[in-house]
Amino acid sequence: MTSRSKGFGEAPEPMKETSSKATLLNAAVLHWMHDLAAQGIVTTDNELNVVEWNHWMEEHTGKRANEVIGKNLLELFPELAERRLDRNYKWALEGQVRVLSQALHGYLIEMPAVSGEYGQASMQQAVRISPLSHADRVIGTLTIIDDVTERVAREAELQAQVEDRSRLLSSEKLARSEAERANRLKDEFLATISHELRNPLNAILGWAHMMRVGNLTPANAERAVETIYRNAKSQAQLVADLLDVSRIISGKLRLDVRTIDFIPIVNAAIDSVRPAVDAKGIRLHTILDPAAGPIYGDADRLQQIVWNLLTNAVKFTPTGGRIQVKVQRLDSHIEIVVSDSGVGISEEFLPYVFDRFRQADASYTRVHGGLGLGLSIVRQLVGLHGGTVSVHSEGEGKGATFTITLPLVGLISNEGEADSVQQPPNDEILSFDGLPSLEGVKVLVVDDEADTRELIREVLKGCGSEVITSCSATEALEALEQHKPDILITDLGMPGEDGYSLIEKIRSLPPDRGGDIPAAALTAYARAEDRMRVLRSGFQFHLPKPVDSAELVTVVASLAGRAYKT
Amino acid sequence: MVKLTERQSDALSELINIAFARTGAALSELTGHRVLLNPPEVAVYQTIELRPALAKFVPGDVASIHQVFAGPVAGDALLLLNYDGAVHLTDLLTDGHNPSAYLDESAREVLTEVGNILLNACLGMFGNLLNVHVTFSVPRLHLETLDELLASLTEGKTELHYAVVVYTAFQLRDSSVKGFLVIVLSVASLDRLIQEVDAWEAQQSR
Repeated sequence: MTSRSKGFGEAPEPMKETSSKATLLNAAVLHWMHDLAAQGIVTTDNELNVVEWNHWMEEHTGKRANEVIGKNLLELFPELAERRLDRNYKWALEGQVRVLSQALHGYLIEMPAVSGEYGQASMQQAVRISPLSHADRVIGTLTIIDDVTERVAREAELQAQVEDRSRLLSSEKLARSEAERANRLKDEFLATISHELRNPLNAILGWAHMMRVGNLTPANAERAVETIYRNAKSQAQLVADLLDVSRIISGKLRLDVRTIDFIPIVNAAIDSVRPAVDAKGIRLHTILDPAAGPIYGDADRLQQIVWNLLTNAVKFTPTGGRIQVKVQRLDSHIEIVVSDSGVGISEEFLPYVFDRFRQADASYTRVHGGLGLGLSIVRQLVGLHGGTVSVHSEGEGKGATFTITLPLVGLISNEGEADSVQQPPNDEILSFDGLPSLEGVKVLVVDDEADTRELIREVLKGCGSEVITSCSATEALEALEQHKPDILITDLGMPGEDGYSLIEKIRSLPPDRGGDIPAAALTAYARAEDRMRVLRSGFQFHLPKPVDSAELVTVVASLAGRAYKT
Repeated sequence: MVKLTERQSDALSELINIAFARTGAALSELTGHRVLLNPPEVAVYQTIELRPALAKFVPGDVASIHQVFAGPVAGDALLLLNYDGAVHLTDLLTDGHNPSAYLDESAREVLTEVGNILLNACLGMFGNLLNVHVTFSVPRLHLETLDELLASLTEGKTELHYAVVVYTAFQLRDSSVKGFLVIVLSVASLDRLIQEVDAWEAQQSR
């Protein structure tokens, strides 16, 4: 018996007990690792011969422990060397712990995945290779293999969800900004519609009020009726356009379709815009092919199409400009080309020309009225006739060309009719009982619309005020210097320079040149934010159109520091 | 900060650079992309000075890969990355298979392996230099604040400890991820290391 074994043999009873307990426990641990561990456990000696191959390894590799124990690991699995993973064992034998991640290696020893449900043929593994040391010497290696197939699949799933969510988020953002854009367009349209509907209303109410008061001369009464009629008609046109759009949107527009000759329709449309063309000194040139042939359609709607294009051309063509209307037959189609030498269309706006509620210039300073519905209606009506409409412009200031094609058929003709003329405004005097006297108060009235200008002039003159009128900001600044008015009433939306710009310029003047003149803004834009902007920009009052005569006089009196007559 | 002489500092940098070159080569082979580690900048601090030295480089959460080493020279070795840097590095190493802004288990494993390669290369190099056998713990990845990390490094250590702080950056696929290698040693271990560095330097210049 060696001294060492003797030493063990002579150990006191409790120690002996502990030691044998520890030995038993170690054996139990080894047993557990072999039979029950949910990980692959492989140990080798320092020559990499397999010493332990647990049940988990047997189960997943299909190799029984008795087939591998005692054999060299690298010989059993030559792909370890092929994949240069053998180095990890070399390093472990040098004392290093090595970690092999699934993401960078996939697996250490190829085994089939437990089930195919995670989309992996091979089990995905996370591996630790550690040295086993005794007394400062590495005597073997320990490999622990974790099956992470399910985890990897779950992470990929989560990743896909995150990506989906961010995709969803960005498409939601897109939809939201699209909705916001549509909403903004609608707001702009409402502001425009309120402006366009209030402007004629202003003249109608003003003149009607003066007629009711009853001191108009017969000549001026006739003017009043004409102005009211003209403005009411323009409003009726707006309402008709709106109704058309509404019918088109709801699919309720009905075409009264017949075989018709197109040329007379074009002529009727031309006749109806002729007065406006003449008034602006525009040269209208027509090339109408009499053999253009019959088409199948609704005569009224076709005339509306041509009329819309023509009024559009007249609206955007300056005095002395040129418009050409050409109708010709092209194969099985008839082509109508309306070109003008007008303001043209910018490249950016070109794609939106036929959109509803879209106008190139939606600003306060816009020169051209209207709702921006005409061309949208044209597109819809042309579409309902099975035709196409297109627009071409070389850019701003370079005119525009609209081309419509309609399919040809039949041989019978039909006609329509048209309207619309512009006439100058008039002057009149009236008085208002119960309102403050404006005797000696000099008022400068600025508005680009003659009707409104004249109406305000008449109302204020009726209360004894002296009225100077200007049709633009530039003219107003001159009048301010020249006439030294006490009060300023100005429209906000004017072509070129608007009312905001005017008040800004005036407020920068010294007091002796009118810099602190009390001012009221007159506008058909009547939203709350408009009122706020007005007051912030240097006006004392905001007068929404259509203006009430009594309110106008009261505001002017208040600005002039006058009280009501008692 | 403990003042190393210029020669000591240069020699230590050179030694670590050898380990870095090995790390770069190993990572290049592993990922199929050329991985370089910038030439290291080395400084030695007392552990209590670590906070101000590291705070400006790792302002938020820190990802650290930590291995304890034991033997005649003993201490803690860590690779420190800031959280975003850790995410970015994983993304670069795995070809964008983990393009999320967080570290999932697979990403943490990759970082652990990278840290393991780097720490083994450096500690192995020190072990050879000192001609001592060092044993390593299994590397662990921690995500915590810098303060929590520093507290765990100094916890239970009564005697003065020093930290060799090596600043570098991983360069791969036109990107750069900054990181720190921190090796915390006792005074005795540091003295022994510096002595051996001196001896190596003398041998080199002979």
